[in-house]
Amino acid sequence: MNKSYYTCLFGGEAGYGVMSAGSIIAKGANRSGLWSFVVNEYPSLIQGGLNSCLVRLSNKPITAYEETIDFLGLFSQQAFDCYADKLSPSAIVLYDAATTKIDATKVPEGTLLCPVALASSIPKGGAKIMINSAMLGAFAAFTGYPKQVLIDVMKTEFHNEKVQQENIQILDEVYHLVMETLSSSKVFPFPFEPKAEPKMLINGNEAISIAAIKAGCKFSAGYPMTPGSSVLSYLADHGAEYGLVFKQAEDEIAAINMLIGASFAGTRAIGSTSGGGFALMVEALGFAAQAEIPLVMVNAQRGGPSTGLPTRTAQADLNFVVHASQGEFPRIVLAPGDIEECFYETFRIFNLADTYQVPCIILTDKFLADSSVSQLPFATDSLTIERGKLFEAKEQPYLRYENTPDGVSARAIPGQVGGRHIATSYTHGEDGFYSSGNKEYALNEPMVTINSMDKLYNKLPAMEKEIPAIKFYGPPNADLTIIAWGSTKGAILEAMELAASQNISVNFLQILYISPFPITATELVLQQAKKTLLIEGNKTAQLGSILRANTGHKTDYTFLKYNSRAFLPSEILAKIKEVLF
Amino acid sequence: MAAHDINLPYVPTWCAGCGDYGIFMALKKAMTSLNLDLEQTVLATGIGCSSKIGQYMNTYRIETLHGRSLPVATGVKLANHNLTVIAEGGDGDGMGLGMGHFVHTARRNIDITYFIHNNQIYGLTKGQSSPTSDLGAVTKFTPAPLGNVEHPINIVKMALNVGATFVARAFVGNSTQLVSLMEQAISHPGFAVIDILQPCVSFNHTNTYQWYQQRAKPIEEMEGYDPADLEKALIFAGLWGEQIPIGLYYQTLRPTFQDSLPQLSHQPLAQQKIDNIDITGLMQKLY
Ligand SMILES: Cc1ncc(C[n+]2csc(CCOP(=O)(O)OP(=O)(O)O)c2C)c(N)n1
Ligand code: SF4
Repeated sequence: MNKSYYTCLFGGEAGYGVMSAGSIIAKGANRSGLWSFVVNEYPSLIQGGLNSCLVRLSNKPITAYEETIDFLGLFSQQAFDCYADKLSPSAIVLYDAATTKIDATKVPEGTLLCPVALASSIPKGGAKIMINSAMLGAFAAFTGYPKQVLIDVMKTEFHNEKVQQENIQILDEVYHLVMETLSSSKVFPFPFEPKAEPKMLINGNEAISIAAIKAGCKFSAGYPMTPGSSVLSYLADHGAEYGLVFKQAEDEIAAINMLIGASFAGTRAIGSTSGGGFALMVEALGFAAQAEIPLVMVNAQRGGPSTGLPTRTAQADLNFVVHASQGEFPRIVLAPGDIEECFYETFRIFNLADTYQVPCIILTDKFLADSSVSQLPFATDSLTIERGKLFEAKEQPYLRYENTPDGVSARAIPGQVGGRHIATSYTHGEDGFYSSGNKEYALNEPMVTINSMDKLYNKLPAMEKEIPAIKFYGPPNADLTIIAWGSTKGAILEAMELAASQNISVNFLQILYISPFPITATELVLQQAKKTLLIEGNKTAQLGSILRANTGHKTDYTFLKYNSRAFLPSEILAKIKEVLF
Repeated sequence: MAAHDINLPYVPTWCAGCGDYGIFMALKKAMTSLNLDLEQTVLATGIGCSSKIGQYMNTYRIETLHGRSLPVATGVKLANHNLTVIAEGGDGDGMGLGMGHFVHTARRNIDITYFIHNNQIYGLTKGQSSPTSDLGAVTKFTPAPLGNVEHPINIVKMALNVGATFVARAFVGNSTQLVSLMEQAISHPGFAVIDILQPCVSFNHTNTYQWYQQRAKPIEEMEGYDPADLEKALIFAGLWGEQIPIGLYYQTLRPTFQDSLPQLSHQPLAQQKIDNIDITGLMQKLY
């Protein structure tokens, strides 16, 4: 069979290890020269509901997923009902007849229905979660995915020797049972290379967390909110060995204020949340801006408004994040589109935060934060730390908010001799003193106000110049220019590949940093564009309005998706065709 | 360090007669007699008349948002636990917006000193009721004839209940005791709170110097006083009427939050080297 992707989906209630089954297959592939993309879907439920883990495998890098399933591993009836219509021709459906009734009329012709007694292969007293090992054994037997690769992954995944042995034994038994009694179809299309350089299986939040550690972040504070929390739990779990302190705060308001305190005291700090938590942090976002204290925050978007859809994806916080707070001030909003950008741009944003002393927000979403992909180890040799302008004791008198041409003044860190100053949330003069603190000072208030506002905005020209804010993909003279931001990137790139193979010429303008908006760079691309198509995961074309406000350009077409799921390459390709033909 | 080292060339804008002057003077005295290194001291304030104190003191200072001095102070302390960290603000600031932070900071027993300027009114916004306003208090937002109908928060009781390890009440009119309590509080390893009774001459015409003077009684002269006994401290804290005990209510030693973190055992976070951090191990874990 000549396939470019092989897609497995495991579905069932929470507690069956649906996601670990998927990640074992993906990791095995990553260690054997293949590439993977893993998408988890789960409701905001602790028990029951439908969890699913989709693993897409290929012999070349993958940046997106499609729901055309070649292997469907069922742990529940609901999983069948939900995914039966997504099966590709001659797919394998593996199920336990004791728990799942298959309605053969609901599956495409040619589907291989494979009942295996999964549950009964678990020894008496064994945990329900072991059923996934039985599933993996059967998976290997039916598809020809090497059993030993799975066993090798299990050996590193399960640290408890006894648990490891039990699971491997179940896998082995079910593998042999299937091989002896059922006809194996050995459909797995890619060769395994045992000596290949291993790749990581990594999601966006892990990439951000590792980048923060690399960037010398030593403090994190937060309050759990899906899908932002896993940055916090990663840092809580792995940070200590790097000297990082994670503090769970009483709420998001406390968390961001702790981050500001730590940053004021000279420590790089990061927080992570989702829209609802970010809403609570907005007050302090302005404080960081006014006091010019570097701040790095992650907002991993989920569906909204309000508590919205805790475990599903959306790109609907853009306007909010770009404009959040009373008053006006420059900020940096980064919208990484893939794992590499999550890593490298997070590292960079710590330098930018210190250099410009402004609040920085990394805007991701559930899909990017939570989906795992194969990734070669990051190259870290050329990553260097830049702490920006720092006060040196000889400069006296010291003015914390000295009005420099580029708007950036030297920071003194508590403990530094000669650097005593006030950092304040009030509009203030060069020494941090504010207009209502003193009668004489009050006379100068209008001037102080203008100067302090101009000082904040004097940072913009350098920011716009230094920040690599856009990326451009595809042929310059394409018939259609797609404009998008964030996690839609992968699906767009794959759609472009499909389009190219059908001689449809499309290019893609990715807005990587949305604030300050890269006006000049964007305009250059727009001047060349024949037709423009905006793609966003929200209802109101938020990037579209920002684009229009900054460049006057109204895109010719929009493709908006707000059904709580990520874009698929196939639907983008369909839209491209609709627009062009 | 001399007292004048703490001064800045700005004249405070507090109303003539405001209790904040007394707290300002006392704090300068306490810091001088403790010989605090001003470069190693951070004062975190909230927003309100009381919080303006940060504008006039020549240490490192961070004037935060209304009610947020404690989480900011917590971040400062965790980033550099060698610093002396003092938080300060009003009763509205600390017991209104800041209440959640107060409870959790106390429970954490992080080594921060917290001075609450308690004038039982909102001064800076010109006279609204405060969480510590007496029942019946007539304010801009609780007009006559009803006045305030909500039970006031007793800061000392509150602090005792949520685990502060040094709890005192002081009155600006008794400066000697206030200075001494401030010295003890700053020296205390753990979360130390002083509820400082402070008249607002402009907007609180009930709880005046005279009103507090008549009621404030040194706690150590009262029968059964034992600052090691939490139960007794809570009983004294219940006295708010004809007699209001002032002095140290309770002190105990409990491991501080920062002492329980191995990451802080040898060096403050802010002083760790951050060049060339090797993340190879973290990446390999994901293979
Ligand atoms: C979020 C927010 N809400 C309201 C205010 C307005 N405000 C400024 S000071 C203050 C009250 C101050 O009262 P208190 O803390 O008792 O201090 P005092 O002025 O009496 O010393 C308020 C409500 C603000 N600055 N920020
Ligand atoms: S309003 Fe009250 S608290 Fe504020 S300065 Fe005047 S007297 Fe002091």
